[in-house]
Amino acid sequence: MLVTYAQAINAAMKEEMQRDKKVVVFGEDVAQFGGIFGLTRGLLDEFGSDRVKNTPVSEDSIAGVGVGSAIGGLRPCIEIMYSDFLLVAFNEIFQSAAKWRYLHGPEYKVPLVIRSAAGSALGAGAEHSGCVESLFLHSPGLTIITPSTAYDAKGLLKSAIRSDNPVLFFEQKQLYQVKEEIPDEEYLIPVGVADVKRKGTDVTVIAIGLMVKRSLEAAEELKNEGIDVEVIDPRTIAPLDKDTVYESIRKTHRIVVVEETNKTGGLGAEFAAMFQEELYDELDGPVVRVAALDVPLPYNVKYELASIPDVKRIVSAVKSLF
Amino acid sequence: MSYSKELLLDMYQCLLSDRLMEERLIELYAQGWVPGHIHSGVGEEASYTGVLATRKEGDQFKFTHRNVSAYHDVGLTYRHIFCEILGKMGGNSDGKGGINHIADKGKGIIGISGALAGDIPISVGVSYALKMQGGNNIVYCFFGDGTTSRGTVHEAMNWASVWKLPILFIVNNNQWSISTSASEGCSIENPGAGRAAGYNIISKVVDGTDVLSVYDGAKELTDYIRAGNGPAVLESKCYRWRGHFEGDMARYRDSKVAEEWHKKDCLKKFEQYLKENKYITDADVEKMKIDVEAEIQDGIETSEKASQPSLDTIYNNLYV
Repeated sequence: MLVTYAQAINAAMKEEMQRDKKVVVFGEDVAQFGGIFGLTRGLLDEFGSDRVKNTPVSEDSIAGVGVGSAIGGLRPCIEIMYSDFLLVAFNEIFQSAAKWRYLHGPEYKVPLVIRSAAGSALGAGAEHSGCVESLFLHSPGLTIITPSTAYDAKGLLKSAIRSDNPVLFFEQKQLYQVKEEIPDEEYLIPVGVADVKRKGTDVTVIAIGLMVKRSLEAAEELKNEGIDVEVIDPRTIAPLDKDTVYESIRKTHRIVVVEETNKTGGLGAEFAAMFQEELYDELDGPVVRVAALDVPLPYNVKYELASIPDVKRIVSAVKSLF
Repeated sequence: MSYSKELLLDMYQCLLSDRLMEERLIELYAQGWVPGHIHSGVGEEASYTGVLATRKEGDQFKFTHRNVSAYHDVGLTYRHIFCEILGKMGGNSDGKGGINHIADKGKGIIGISGALAGDIPISVGVSYALKMQGGNNIVYCFFGDGTTSRGTVHEAMNWASVWKLPILFIVNNNQWSISTSASEGCSIENPGAGRAAGYNIISKVVDGTDVLSVYDGAKELTDYIRAGNGPAVLESKCYRWRGHFEGDMARYRDSKVAEEWHKKDCLKKFEQYLKENKYITDADVEKMKIDVEAEIQDGIETSEKASQPSLDTIYNNLYV
């Protein structure tokens, strides 16, 4: 069936709620309104107001109540509207969700999924466009997923909901309306498995979220210049599928990481450190990072487009390694 | 209110055990036995014992960094508690949590957030899960006067009220938050009960030095909650007898005030009441003391003999 990325996510929630009564959904405006981006449409009608609930404007507590409901035996798949607002709930996520089991013992588990909308949206501004994955990378215990396609989003969200570990599920706003043909029958994508979106031999481009599409476009351009790009979409950022990524690096010996996050302390920062430390002898050059400029994302769309990696910047970064 | 003999003797057993445990912890800390810190709850035991005497099987509990003795009230053994304090095997976390994360899922312990009030919305979440389960179980969520200044407390109370959740917020007002008096941190008299109405929540203020006053207030509120009426706030007034942590000489406050509060000893008060009403004798008290002290000693010795966790399990329990 042909679905948008948003519809695929909605279908994942619906299927998991049909399968398991313990799955509940709450967040701001998720009930009758169906969520600000429409991701939870139809869930209230099908599952009722005990399982699909609007919350007060209390992000800190949306996460905290999420942790508590999970500890208490439910399987909450909650929504924090914009990923920027995860920072309002930082303590509940970075500390409570991630550490509860480790600190209190193996009888405790936090089967919580926090969905949020990330990334630039052409004029949404600095505090509604964030990509904050790298901040949570630093907390042992969190699973971080960033799907870039409808197919990946559906399979991964289903797995995330079935996982007994706390998961941050970052959706990209600019991908919500992208259509894709996905299977009619049920399928799951395992957490922690990367996807080689384009096989190549000359350079490994690790791209996240919206940057996957741009990296694939860059790869097409580079093909004409005789550079064969392998594009890997980690899909799960933590835990990273090192097997797939390292196999690629051992083949190409050149790496570019493309992210929408700010450069300093971003995902590329951690990946670069990891790759050069563990695969130094395999590298023919530095790990190049293509990331958002280190500024709060400006409101002016021209500024916005200049801040975030575009195809031109990705092409240029790859060429710098040759 | 009338009380059954069984209820009164259970409460006394808990109050006595908690007092002996709190006193023992002070001693142990002074001997250098405790890694980390003790936040003594000596003198405040009635705030916990009186409330917990209203519990039912299946209820859930969020305790605090103080009154570690209260875990025993809900069925954890001293062996478990001391093993966890020492970070050894035999507690709940294989050495990873320690005194601030004593827990037992089967006995309804929710756990604690190291950042004060991080666990208040978590407690509300547990109460939502309980409500979904059906039945009349509730969450007992304990915290102090200082903690009430954190935003999550207000979010949680508001949330519990709008969703009508089965949770009792117990504000143990011992009037001190390290060196900050309650009035320095809050501009109203009752930081717990005084705010409840703002969230459309009912509340009671009780005398934390009188276990029957605490029990009466808790019974009324928990009955209300169990009947499906939504949350309630119980504020228990007492006093932090010692410093915030062992080693804190509390020079920032008037020691004469503390001395006056020591006279309002909840254990002595209840003992006297029970003796006057012929529920217990001096000999009964002596026997109970000996038994509890032996149980505590057994816990200590067990923990001393318990094994250290092994380094190769340091990554265990990070993920399921």
